[in-house]
Amino acid sequence: MKNHQSRGPSRRTVLKGAAGAAALGTAIVGFPAYLKAAGKPIKIGMPTIMSGRVAILGESSVAAAQLQIARVNKAGGVGGRPLELVVRDSRGKPDEAARMTRDLVNNEGCDIILDAEASSASFAVNEVVRDIKKYCIHSNSETSSLTAEPKNQVPWVFRSARQGIHDAVGGGLYAAKVAKEKGLKRWATVSPDYAYGRANTEEFMEYVKVFAPEVEIIEQTWPKIFQPDYTENVTALLNAQPQAVYSCLWGGDLVAFTDQASLYGLFNQFEAFAVNLGDYPVITAIKSLPEGVHSGSRYHRDIPDTAENEAWYKEFMANSKVLPTNWSWENATAMDFIIAALTATGGDTDAEKLGKATAGLTIDSPFGAGGKLTMRESDHTLVNYMVGYSKTIAKDPYVVDFKQTDWADIYKHEDEWKKRNGYI
Amino acid sequence: MTLLREFRRDLAIAAAGLVVLLLIGFGVENPWPRDFLTSIFAVGLLAMSLNLLVGYTGLVSFGHAAFFAFGGYVFGLLLQWPAFTDSLGAGSVPVAFAAAVIGTGLYATIIGAICVRLTEIYFAFLTLAFQMFLYSVILSAVSITGGDQGLMGGIPRPVFLGIDLGDPHHRYTVCAVVFVVCVMIMRIVTESPFGYTLRMIRDNTQRAAFLGVNVARVKLICFVTAGSIAGVGGIILALFTSGAYPEWAFWAQSGEAIFMIMLGGLNVFLGPLLGAVALRILNDVVQMYTSHTEIVIGFVILAVVLGLRRGLLDFARDWWIERQQAKLAAASREERQS
Amino acid sequence: MIELDALAACLTTPACLVNQTTSGLIIGMLLFLVASGVTLIFGVLHVINFAHGSFYMLGAYFAFTVYGLTGNYFLAAGAGAAGAALSGIVFERLIISRVYGQNLLMQLLVCYAFILIVDDLVKIVWGAEYLAMGIPAEFRLPPLRFAGGFVPPFYLFLVAMAVAIGVGSLLIVTKTRFGKIVRAAAHNASMVSALGIRVNIYFALLFGLGCGLAGVAGALAAPVRSLTPGMGLGILVESFIVTVIGGMGSIPGAFLAAIILGLTRSIGSVGFPLFVDGAMFMIMALVLIFRPTGLLGQGTLR
Repeated sequence: MKNHQSRGPSRRTVLKGAAGAAALGTAIVGFPAYLKAAGKPIKIGMPTIMSGRVAILGESSVAAAQLQIARVNKAGGVGGRPLELVVRDSRGKPDEAARMTRDLVNNEGCDIILDAEASSASFAVNEVVRDIKKYCIHSNSETSSLTAEPKNQVPWVFRSARQGIHDAVGGGLYAAKVAKEKGLKRWATVSPDYAYGRANTEEFMEYVKVFAPEVEIIEQTWPKIFQPDYTENVTALLNAQPQAVYSCLWGGDLVAFTDQASLYGLFNQFEAFAVNLGDYPVITAIKSLPEGVHSGSRYHRDIPDTAENEAWYKEFMANSKVLPTNWSWENATAMDFIIAALTATGGDTDAEKLGKATAGLTIDSPFGAGGKLTMRESDHTLVNYMVGYSKTIAKDPYVVDFKQTDWADIYKHEDEWKKRNGYI
Repeated sequence: MTLLREFRRDLAIAAAGLVVLLLIGFGVENPWPRDFLTSIFAVGLLAMSLNLLVGYTGLVSFGHAAFFAFGGYVFGLLLQWPAFTDSLGAGSVPVAFAAAVIGTGLYATIIGAICVRLTEIYFAFLTLAFQMFLYSVILSAVSITGGDQGLMGGIPRPVFLGIDLGDPHHRYTVCAVVFVVCVMIMRIVTESPFGYTLRMIRDNTQRAAFLGVNVARVKLICFVTAGSIAGVGGIILALFTSGAYPEWAFWAQSGEAIFMIMLGGLNVFLGPLLGAVALRILNDVVQMYTSHTEIVIGFVILAVVLGLRRGLLDFARDWWIERQQAKLAAASREERQS
Repeated sequence: MIELDALAACLTTPACLVNQTTSGLIIGMLLFLVASGVTLIFGVLHVINFAHGSFYMLGAYFAFTVYGLTGNYFLAAGAGAAGAALSGIVFERLIISRVYGQNLLMQLLVCYAFILIVDDLVKIVWGAEYLAMGIPAEFRLPPLRFAGGFVPPFYLFLVAMAVAIGVGSLLIVTKTRFGKIVRAAAHNASMVSALGIRVNIYFALLFGLGCGLAGVAGALAAPVRSLTPGMGLGILVESFIVTVIGGMGSIPGAFLAAIILGLTRSIGSVGFPLFVDGAMFMIMALVLIFRPTGLLGQGTLR
């Protein structure tokens, strides 16, 4: 009896609930939005990170992409159709990024995906766009295998970001030169303990050793990502007493590490190389910026030191709540390639056609070496951007004395690296 | 057979539900409803299985997503292992599925045996500790799990019995069937005498013990059942995303499942499922209008918790019962007057 | 996985020993301040403040702003503590007081909602940028040397402050009239209110005190930690581990557990760098299995 009673109401509520949920689902999120899409603006879906500790990266990415779109739309759009950016916050979760990418295409009617996710989520998005065959540019992931690995390559997917191996060769050449000049043999590293941190550090040190074989690594310490306190890592470096230190810490973590390391006088004791230090939000946040730290190129108004770049910086600052980051120029570039490809196809968003138009394309860009950026045909990744190192000074412009790595050197070593890994 | 008879109405509803799901899957050309529902199958199983512990047994677990992640990872790792797929061929997917569910069950048995002896908050924290332990193992065992990058490069899914899980319709159908079967299993568990033992433990553990119930054993069985079903949820998500990610084992995933239960209602069988649907829709709709998703969802949670003080279906059920009682009272008053 | 050689080499070198022990203490003492707030609130009011990390974050942001205005670090730290305490009182009155005596899930959910709201508010008010306060001028000193090891004077100050504040709050709860009333009220609210004491105010004040402890930790550490929305999360998890290991409700327990955790982190980074987090959760699990009330906990402060 009791059994029966307790089941009675719940079954009915169940049905009601299910019907209600289904109706609600279709009414609110469902087909209306999908049907509306036809004949309207060309929609570009952008999954990225807009909340939490790295929200600034997503915000600076969206601001940059919007800037390029606004310019085109002011000039009448592409083939008479304006462009529209649809942004979704995945919070950096790979499965959310994958789901949102599908939703952007299937539900919002986006024909193009600008994947502004960090590394692991970008692989999830890559999986989706290969599956559903939508034109996509990965704008932030630096992980080399994303485009270098043949099994990830399809005709309609590209990367407009730095690639780990390019920075590693550039950084290795630069650091080896400094090491030889100053006799730096004992090296240590302090990098975040996750795939990017480990891969980046390994590649960098590998190339330092290629160009300066006498270098040895005596200590490696791996703080967790978003760790609030780096004291144990700082003291680990102190104990090892290296002559030089490399770090690929980034963002707020690098700010905190720099301040905490300064307390121990760490930067007075050895040469420091930090590939991600040059990002504006980082370098402006650090209050007592140590001088003479070797800082990798991210985005800077003076790198390259051209009128076009200066103009872009000013325009960005006038339209953004946040400072430009490395992700900003990468997303502006992604959007430039999308626009160029759309212009070439006359607004046709077919994945294969857009892919064909993008592969091997060279565009004018404020961020390129010699004002040009190329989407390399062989592996669909960006080349000819600014790779190199500067030195820090305590006040604006914060970094000076930029040394650009010769792209011929990068190509040479990249080819060898690809062969070693069986990619070609 | 008695099972069939006793649950024939539930079985009929389940069959009807499955037909509706399949009609949506095959009747609508746009893949969006399939994607939406598949992700609901996954998190729905996580939330509903957690409610076996929270709602039916009174065990508040903060670490339930550990089993969700465990199932997904075992399934994905087995299928990514060439020796496994080579030797089993067409049998790979079913064997990997079974192995992932059984493996998750065994893992839940070990964790459960340690945890169920503790009560309330200590149980909650211990489950959380084990979950975070699993999370840090996934992150540090890079050579096996891929660390923070998760299982990359896709999960191979060899065709079995003519079913190709690479095909969206096949995949959706399999996920829907698995989901409905799991829901039915939970229904039988909660409405069987065992289910009423669980409720007795929740309402008065001492009384249950006096009546000769081996409380620890019953709790453990419930814990393992819930864990295994959460593992199935993880498998569905692994199939859907063609990967597995450490975030699935992070405490926020458990927290989200708890919120789904509270939002939908923990005293009604399908409450957590409604919660899962409602949370997803809320999230998607808010995202369309503002980038400040967090603040809006925060206020919605506050409104539900402080305003309704129970889940949506709980609220509906209480309202319905009250109305029935009012009717009964009115009827009996009339009777007396006449 | 385990680098025993490195560990042995470190433990036998005075410099390394000094460096790692002091860094363990520094990490531990800031955790202790945050955790003591959690444990204080639980011990007396029997609610778990899952939103504690948000008050740590608020303390840091308030301190950042006041430091920017006045350039005075001590004033900034005070403002951080006061701001977090006031926010805590508001949070208690508006939200937490409605879930006293409710089940754990209700408490968890309102706190979760609060975390989401505060994170977004911080992003709206202060922006998503990484902010850093910088080392105050009075502490820009070269590190002290002990037996070949380095100890920054600023960290000595932080440790001393943490211990003093922790002891102070313990005294407030156990020795003062305020503490006695609030503990009596938590034990039997109707009896105490029958004496003409408005217990609600006392509960709110105690909750505020607990949040103030998190705030002062955030404010004191602001010069060496970058400020971002969501920064409370990491510290929240660690402070819960400390609270559980030490015993829910025990301030001395939190002190002991914070030192254990700090040393695990600093020694672990030398001896088992890949397993530091795993080790922390393992300690927590072991304590819960063999001594669920924690190392020094007797359940509550009563």
